[in-house]
Amino acid sequence: MKRSLLLTALSFSLLVAVHAQSKVFKEVSEGISSQVKSIWQDNTMVGYLVFTELEKASADSFNYKITIMDENLNDIGTVKFRELKLNLYNVAFEQDVLCLAYLKSNFLDYDFGRRDAKTALSNAKSWIFTQFLNLDGKIIATNATPVDIKYSIGASYTSKRSGYGKLKTSVLLKNIPQKGFACFYGDDSRNNLLIFNAAGRQTWQKTVQEDASDFYMLTSQQDVWVLAKRKEKLVEAGYELFGFNTKDSTAAPKYILKDKKGNPLRVITFDNDPATGKPFMAGNIINAGKGNGLLTPNQRARGPYDGVFTIDFTGRKKSEIKENYIYWNDGSQPGISKRGRWDSIRAYCRFEQAFRDYEGNTFFSGSAMLRRPRWGAIGLEIVTAPTIILPAMIAMTAGSTKAQLADGLVVRMGGKGGLTINHNFKLNPTIWAAARAPFINWDNRNYYHLNSSENKTNYLIVDDSRNFTIYNVNQQKIMRTIPHMDGNVRTSILPAKEGHIMVSEYNYKEKYTRVSIESL
Amino acid sequence: MTHSYRVLIAVLLIGLALDGRSQIKPLYNYQDLSHIIYQRQKDSLKKAWVCPAAYKNKETQKKYKEIWDSRTEFITQAIADDDYVQDQDIFPYIDGIITQLMQANKQQIPVKPFLLLDRSASINAYAVGGNVIAVNLGLISFCQSREELALAIAHEMSHNILNHAENAARQRAELLTSDEYKRSLESVLDSKYGRLTRLQKILENYSFNRSKHQRYHESDADSLAILLLKKSNIAFNAAFFLRLDSVDVLYRQPLSHPLNTYFTAYHLPFEDTWTQRRSKGLSTRNYNFRDTSSIADSLKTHPDCEERYARTRSFTVAGARMTPIPANIKTKTNKMMLWGMYQNQTLTPCLYRVLLEKDKGNTDEWYDFMVNNIFSGLFYADRELHRFNAVGVIQKEYISKNYNELQNMLEQMPRESLEQYCKTLQNGSFWKDMSPAERALKNLLYTLTFDPDASDKNRAKAAKEFTSNNAASMYCEFADIFAKK
Repeated sequence: MKRSLLLTALSFSLLVAVHAQSKVFKEVSEGISSQVKSIWQDNTMVGYLVFTELEKASADSFNYKITIMDENLNDIGTVKFRELKLNLYNVAFEQDVLCLAYLKSNFLDYDFGRRDAKTALSNAKSWIFTQFLNLDGKIIATNATPVDIKYSIGASYTSKRSGYGKLKTSVLLKNIPQKGFACFYGDDSRNNLLIFNAAGRQTWQKTVQEDASDFYMLTSQQDVWVLAKRKEKLVEAGYELFGFNTKDSTAAPKYILKDKKGNPLRVITFDNDPATGKPFMAGNIINAGKGNGLLTPNQRARGPYDGVFTIDFTGRKKSEIKENYIYWNDGSQPGISKRGRWDSIRAYCRFEQAFRDYEGNTFFSGSAMLRRPRWGAIGLEIVTAPTIILPAMIAMTAGSTKAQLADGLVVRMGGKGGLTINHNFKLNPTIWAAARAPFINWDNRNYYHLNSSENKTNYLIVDDSRNFTIYNVNQQKIMRTIPHMDGNVRTSILPAKEGHIMVSEYNYKEKYTRVSIESL
Repeated sequence: MTHSYRVLIAVLLIGLALDGRSQIKPLYNYQDLSHIIYQRQKDSLKKAWVCPAAYKNKETQKKYKEIWDSRTEFITQAIADDDYVQDQDIFPYIDGIITQLMQANKQQIPVKPFLLLDRSASINAYAVGGNVIAVNLGLISFCQSREELALAIAHEMSHNILNHAENAARQRAELLTSDEYKRSLESVLDSKYGRLTRLQKILENYSFNRSKHQRYHESDADSLAILLLKKSNIAFNAAFFLRLDSVDVLYRQPLSHPLNTYFTAYHLPFEDTWTQRRSKGLSTRNYNFRDTSSIADSLKTHPDCEERYARTRSFTVAGARMTPIPANIKTKTNKMMLWGMYQNQTLTPCLYRVLLEKDKGNTDEWYDFMVNNIFSGLFYADRELHRFNAVGVIQKEYISKNYNELQNMLEQMPRESLEQYCKTLQNGSFWKDMSPAERALKNLLYTLTFDPDASDKNRAKAAKEFTSNNAASMYCEFADIFAKK
């Protein structure tokens, strides 16, 4: 096998060695482009898909190839077809049918000559194109919904002009368990929700009249939820929720995310509860006055948040929405100051993730932010006080306080409404930065949450500049610490099948990438 | 009575001693690996294989030289990579078949071919021209008789006698530099649309022509092989071609016992849940895409096995008694093949083959030693984030239910259980019969898997210690990987 592969490679390298051939291969390969997408069902990755534009087949159409791989990266089949220019956004899977959501156009990303560009612009059309494939490799249905896009002709130094334009909101696609698929997009005139059954027939369509900057979609049993984020003065505020029932084709009234006091809410997570399968939301209660104090440790220490919240949506009626608010700004939480400082660890907690375990407990996680006086700087300020200018300069540069992100924290929200630090785990501490320095300059941590329904286990992955730390929340144990760089190898971690991560290793010296799907 | 009893005891003791010795005797030495044993031949091969001046046309001659040199590069690289081995038993056995064929066919084979024993498990042999043939361990393991093996070898020798490799290289050079071929390629760029489709058609057409010729070559080689065998008094049985149809069924073969029994025999805990695929992924679905992996019949280089059988069955020597391949050759072949697979980190097929050996009632402790190596290798791979690649998951349609269970188990068993497996196996009772080199390898694996100091430096130190204390051991090849880091 090894030999035959080598021989095949050998014969190919011989082919491309001839001048005329290398030119042909080069030019032909330049016309080929691929997109790799993961295939999702019920928020679980079930496989991978490579979408390749092979060649221009006619004046306006292209030959495409779809290669479908299972969750172990084994090829299970290919499908070829011809279409107008396509840009693949998402792939979902339900009832043994793959749904692919594209933006199709006779104008976008096409190259035109100067003379043709204006005609093409006047005839420009685009569609949300959904394609349904069964596991026999047949395209069982396609749908095209026209979209309203503002088109323009891209400037170029060459004689070529390319068609330009984009959707206002990217195409979101999710499976609806036992039902089909939900596809959401926003164009220049509307935000639109399309519902398809597993046979690929459109069964419902609903316009969401909301001028939001971002949308997130969640499907839960027969319901489709669309979370919209409007731009507001408080940067983390402006969330609104829309619920739709695909069974009776009804919409619930808009739900504005504010607590009973009118404080806006910052949504950290909106997901299905692993225990009940119903949606829940968790996040921070924003302080209406100090809510934008997020940039520096000093601002954070002033208390931009008043507490945390969870909201459970057991149905779409108001009575079926259960809100739970925990405030620390009223001093009601023992061990937590009104500004959110935890006495036991002498630190503030920056929540980056929120999740539910399989027993219905809600957890918040993030880094412990330490903030301490800078005694050296304070001393220097005192010593140089007579000069007036020097202490002012010290205060403006180094400042009198410093901050550091230390351990990772997992905070549990108790059933009775209390907050407790469930456990903390060691991470590489960041530098001690000036507490007036923006986080963006020195905080390079990112938190990700994964779960495994099989083991009923929650994991946190923390990515800092040096390592990936994989933490098992249930066992309260660091499972692995993976360095970003190990000799000549740079490691990246990507999502993979449930309970696994995809480890991609690029060897700088030998110039190869090795991919492996590893258990958490 | 007493005397005969003493003789019996003496015989038994000698037998036991021999048995013990056979376990200690290594399969081969490190110095038998091709990068050492063929170093001189490798260098002389480079000098000896000079491309002949066959064409006046410079371009064609240049292309011919490229193809010619690539063949030299292929063989010399394979030698450097230790793809070949020259052991003290299998190599002479194969060489004996070649000698028999040569002596009976001196006119066709005036010079004895240069034999290479390829460590690959794939069921294959190949001729590369220049009077060089290679026989894979996988083929020796697959063949049921010396006659089957002789047929495969005679077939490859026939390729060399008929100059097939050299002729194919010439034909390729001529075609790739022909005006027609170049014109057809350039026409691709002239076309506005469907360039890739056009290019694929040209290449398919080229492959078709090449395969067509190769298929003629195969038939010619079959015919000549039958003649060579006849002159050598080696019986020919066309049924071998039919058996070749079943080369890929090994991993579809079920095990004789439930999977857990193989592990509980080592007092290893086992959970059935490990064997069931827990994934919700597409691999668990009943997909039925049209098989795109198989190639069209017209593009195959070898004729169908049934076709070969039908064409040659009239030459079958009726009632001929086939000579079984000696048991020690078979045993050694399997072991060498298993070690080669382990060295290449293909752990699931390696373990499955061990379990198939157990099914045959094989109680040789060397296989227990391999079970230890496999689990230690897997634990090491897990530690290095390569477990998935070491398992090498194969799609369910190509393997037996048991193989699928085994690969699921190796992929899904918790890290803690894997660690426990390694620890239990490292204390197994079978170690008492292992050679010092094998015990030293255990220590090296311990360092690789359990030593808290996982630095390359520490591993290299342990590997160098192994190689300096066991300089002749075949396992130095494994240690080399870490010693060189």
